[in-house]
Amino acid sequence: MIERLAKMMTQTPIRLTVNGRIHEVTAERQTPLLYVLRNDLALNGPKYGCGLGECGTCTVLIDGAAARACVIPIGGCVGRDIVTLEGLGTRDKPDVVQQAFIDEQAAQCGYCLNGMIMTTKALLAINPQPSEQEALAALRYNLCRCGAHVEILRAVMRASGQLAEARD
Amino acid sequence: MASPLSNGAERGSLVVVRTVDEITSETFIRITADGSVSAYNGHVDLGTGIRTALGQIVAEELDVSLARVVVVLGDTAVVPNQGATIASETIQITAVPLRKAAAQARHFLIARAAERLELPAADLTIEDGLIRGHNRSVSYGELIGGETIRLELADDVAVKAVGDYAIVGQSMPRVDLPAKATGELTFVHDIRLPGMLHGRVVRPPYAGVDAGPFVGTSLIAVDEASVRDIPGLVAVVQIGDFVGIVAEREENAIRAAEQLAVSWKPTPTLADLADVEKALRAHPSTPRTLIDKGDVDAAISGAARPMRRTYVWPYQMHASIGPSCAVADFQDGNIRVWSGTQNPHVLRNDLALLIERPESEVEVIRLEAAGCYGRNCADDVSADALLLSRAVGRPVRVQLTREQEHAWEPKGTAQLIDVNGGLDAEGGIAGYDLATRYPSNAAPTLALLLTGRISSEPAVLEMGDRTAIPPYDYDHMRVVAHDMAPIVRASWFRGVSALPNTFAHESYIDEAATEAGVDPIEYRLRYLKDQRAVDLVNAVAERAGWTPRPMREEKDGDIVHGRGFAYALYVHSKFPGYGAAWSAWVADVAVNKATGDVSVTRVVAGQDSGLMINPDGVRHQIHGNVIQSTSRALMEEVSFERGAVAAREWGAYPIIPFPDVPKIDVLMLPRSDQPPLGVGESASVPSAAAIANAIFDATGVRFREPPFTPERILKGLRGDAPGTPQALPPPAPPPSRVWENPFAKHAGIFATIAALCTTAIGIGATLLPGRAIAPIARPDASVYSAATIARGQQLAALGNCAECHTTINGVPNAGGRALETPFGTIFSTNITPDVETGIGAWSYPAFERAMRDGLHRDGRQLYPAFPYTHFSKTDDADMQALYAYLMAQSAVRATAPANTLAFPFNLRPLLAGWNALFHQTREFTPDPAKSEVWNRGAYLVESLGHCSACHSPRNALGAERRQAYLAGGFAEGWEAPPLTSLSHAPIPWSEDELFAYLRTGHSRYHGVAAGPMAPIVRDLKALPDPDIRAMAVYLNSFNDKAADAPVLAATLESATQVTVASSTGARLYQGACAVCHEVGGLPLFGSRPSLALNSNLHSATSDNLVQVILHGITDPVSSDLGYMPAFRNSMSDAQVEELVGFLRKQFAPAKPAWTGVRETVARVRTSAH
Repeated sequence: MIERLAKMMTQTPIRLTVNGRIHEVTAERQTPLLYVLRNDLALNGPKYGCGLGECGTCTVLIDGAAARACVIPIGGCVGRDIVTLEGLGTRDKPDVVQQAFIDEQAAQCGYCLNGMIMTTKALLAINPQPSEQEALAALRYNLCRCGAHVEILRAVMRASGQLAEARD
Repeated sequence: MASPLSNGAERGSLVVVRTVDEITSETFIRITADGSVSAYNGHVDLGTGIRTALGQIVAEELDVSLARVVVVLGDTAVVPNQGATIASETIQITAVPLRKAAAQARHFLIARAAERLELPAADLTIEDGLIRGHNRSVSYGELIGGETIRLELADDVAVKAVGDYAIVGQSMPRVDLPAKATGELTFVHDIRLPGMLHGRVVRPPYAGVDAGPFVGTSLIAVDEASVRDIPGLVAVVQIGDFVGIVAEREENAIRAAEQLAVSWKPTPTLADLADVEKALRAHPSTPRTLIDKGDVDAAISGAARPMRRTYVWPYQMHASIGPSCAVADFQDGNIRVWSGTQNPHVLRNDLALLIERPESEVEVIRLEAAGCYGRNCADDVSADALLLSRAVGRPVRVQLTREQEHAWEPKGTAQLIDVNGGLDAEGGIAGYDLATRYPSNAAPTLALLLTGRISSEPAVLEMGDRTAIPPYDYDHMRVVAHDMAPIVRASWFRGVSALPNTFAHESYIDEAATEAGVDPIEYRLRYLKDQRAVDLVNAVAERAGWTPRPMREEKDGDIVHGRGFAYALYVHSKFPGYGAAWSAWVADVAVNKATGDVSVTRVVAGQDSGLMINPDGVRHQIHGNVIQSTSRALMEEVSFERGAVAAREWGAYPIIPFPDVPKIDVLMLPRSDQPPLGVGESASVPSAAAIANAIFDATGVRFREPPFTPERILKGLRGDAPGTPQALPPPAPPPSRVWENPFAKHAGIFATIAALCTTAIGIGATLLPGRAIAPIARPDASVYSAATIARGQQLAALGNCAECHTTINGVPNAGGRALETPFGTIFSTNITPDVETGIGAWSYPAFERAMRDGLHRDGRQLYPAFPYTHFSKTDDADMQALYAYLMAQSAVRATAPANTLAFPFNLRPLLAGWNALFHQTREFTPDPAKSEVWNRGAYLVESLGHCSACHSPRNALGAERRQAYLAGGFAEGWEAPPLTSLSHAPIPWSEDELFAYLRTGHSRYHGVAAGPMAPIVRDLKALPDPDIRAMAVYLNSFNDKAADAPVLAATLESATQVTVASSTGARLYQGACAVCHEVGGLPLFGSRPSLALNSNLHSATSDNLVQVILHGITDPVSSDLGYMPAFRNSMSDAQVEELVGFLRKQFAPAKPAWTGVRETVARVRTSAH
């Protein structure tokens, strides 16, 4: 306990596995993962939206589960597998979910897009064929202000369908 | 994104420019020798896809592919100054010169090609910048070659006929989405410069108010010493009421901004906004008549059925998903600001004014930001970044917090619209006299106000007149805009004043139609003279399958359905302005009469947009407008406390979630022969009226004040007079103690205590003589076996020694931690083997006597905050192992501060009396009637484990009440709940759940360990499973209840599901808590504690719940359990009280409401945690 507390405040390097690569980060253990991903690792995918885990723009995958990087300290991420939007695919080689969102034009300003794609990724990992109702419920706590919901839902269903095709 | 091309073309280029004056010219089109095209526009893409549409227009007129065109938006160094991106003007206004410039370039190039190829121009064709004729071809690039060609933009350029369009009018995928979907650098938030620092601002307490003499003059002092301990702190900047922090790392800037001690003058009483109608009516205004036609007064006074109505629109937020962010780099003569601004040139002007430098030295580079739908804090944060960069001479990135964006964004203003009128004998509109009040202006950039660079006297703008004149041709009509200054900071928001004005027009005409007994669409058509409007209304009615209203059918059951219509032509820009796209809605609603919940189930949204540049883009804009405006109509309203903005996160200002989004059927009229119209706002404008009309159709009750929340609907349905909201009480006084003092109720207790102890001292003095035990040289720990030391370490963990004997962040066991007790503050001692300041000189007998009798080596009494009453039960072997471990640690020199205890508790000899009354030095004796496991558990729990030290109530003298063993107590501001049958948990504890909880810090049926319990469970990791099992067996023996936990859990959870946001507390829960606590939600990293089963929600006191809400769970037993954020900076005391009240009522419905929650919140907020 006390060792933990002591460590918390000292700037010992912390080792994080992000998108399959190991990074050493010198920061306090209580630093929210989001700031380390954006500032130390120069990743643009996860976005700051509320700092309270309410809106979902900062979503990443930690050990495969959706995680709100703004409220998870890096001290809790050691030894875990972290994946960000960049870890899914690139413009030239997008992941199925990314491609589905592009195909459905599922964004307006696109600030929430990271959270939508990462949450969809987490959803399809545990429920590859969600009903529309299930998809809506899974995205309930990802906020979009522009009103791209219709296209986003279509993107989720398209990605689900393409994953099913790929399995067949 | 804006990647301005170099102005000096390396080879050749063709530019189309407009000369502004002798030295300035504006470029619209640039084609370079490699054939690439850049198009420059002064407007920016606010997330609507305008970049793609502008690219289509240019590609079309130039006959190149869309992929060849780069659209540069908003960079003040290279784009024309075309004013702010507002009022749906980009396609209608600013695209015009761009289209002409592209056409002019094409004409020039084709003429040159005709010359080069020696062919008549009429014989040439163009395909993606390649001009062909008679089997020969030449490209644009080749035609330009090394030349620098400069064309002055002409007015009379022939543009293509619509019939020739191949790119415009086709749906094109958005050019920006692949980058956004894969995390490429896109947003201003993503800008990183070498040497960049991180800034945060600290805003004044008058949250969201920007007018009045106190603005910019309220700061008393900033205490820089309060943040001296923050690593990498670079500067604290203060100018007037502007306060900012710069640090090397962002998280440290955040900490510093939170920790910085700033004192402010009290804010004067602000306008009370609990009753918006009253506030707006009382606010000074200047009337401006927009139309006065016929004889309105005579017509109304002669009306057969007078009808006077008032419509009230609430304050709303733009509510950008990404709080504003900017980067500034202040270098001498070269000042660059990367910004998400809506109006780069206006901002540049503001920035120059702010720092008193010529505008020419400032460049604003515009990058995309989160959608803003009007004026948010993008300009504010740009100015903040500039001030901080100037202060430190390095690039600084400033990110506003969610709380700051919510509180300070210029609100979409409340509006008050009175309509006086009535029906004539035939049921027609006799007269229409509308007065609208719109307290909003352009919301000056905040730093200008906070630093005192501009006056805090508010400007009055004439913007309340948008669509203020109804689209209906009433014979007698007067419309007056009452121009007024803002009450709280406010500025334009999508459907600027037109949405509220249309809510009035379209509600009123619906009311009139009802009065007249005529179908509301038919009624409107009587007054609608604009043929395109008539066509649209008919088309939408047909598409929706509209059947004439009213349908006076009986509606049984709780859920009633209804359908409503509304129409608008959004008239914007300076009065009289001009129209954007025409829009009409048919909305279907389902109203739950029992809960007041309104669902908009389907919207048919029709639009006449003229020529649609990118039809898919238009469709998406309609979707966006329908969804956002449905959200605004159903649920959005800014809350205020004492006149300042109270809503600082998404629970207090909810926006529509996925499951509540209506089905949308979009109808786009084909009008490609007509000029293109703005589509960014139009479909929002009919929304609220269509929904209100549908609710009326469903319920027969007219609602004239959005949002249509369940409370408002229930009030309307039940006919309750709308109660005047109570003014909030003043804030609770700060608490005097940091811990829940169980003795506080005992008045005059000190006298009793003193008397009791004095009586007992005689006995005490004789029974427990305090003699010094001689110091020894520090024992050589090598005499102990490694196994003994390891065993001692386990026991130290069981005893949780280090928790109290270590300061926060201090060296383990070196003491000095302040322990708050009802009797004063005790500082724990150094228990490392340092000879002078620790226990290095303590012999084993001295150590054992301290552990068993509570005596220091020198003979003085130790305070029973040290739980020797428990430790005395430790057996000899364990005691020796513990001693061995402590002596084997590294010695640390550290002296604890002196205790600060009130008289008489500072008199240590009195403790002899206390011991006589409450302490028995006795080793643990097993109970032969019980099992071995039980006895093992009892030993661990009662001796070093000292569970009951916190989990038993204490008497007035601070001793555990033996008759109430494990019946619950308080520690460090947290309730230590009863571990017996007195437990308040809805599902009784069981051996397995106790084991799970003690082992992992989590029980499915009870919750997670937090507060002081988290480190205890973490320490217990040192103990083997059988010991934890033994503790569970022993503790469970105090619990005589049993239940089928899974069945009971399922029952409790299904009975407490949250389905309707029927109160402030419910909305706070859904916005802030449900994402992690809702039963059955998408699994997120960490545990998902079920509130229906959580012991804390069922407890007798709210303390633990308030603790976790305010301070979160930042250091759980294990990261597997996940983390809970602290809401102390995001919710007011009143909001936490609402939330706590809701949680109790919702998840522990059988338990009485807690009392004194407000006081608990105030106490816990100021307590250490």
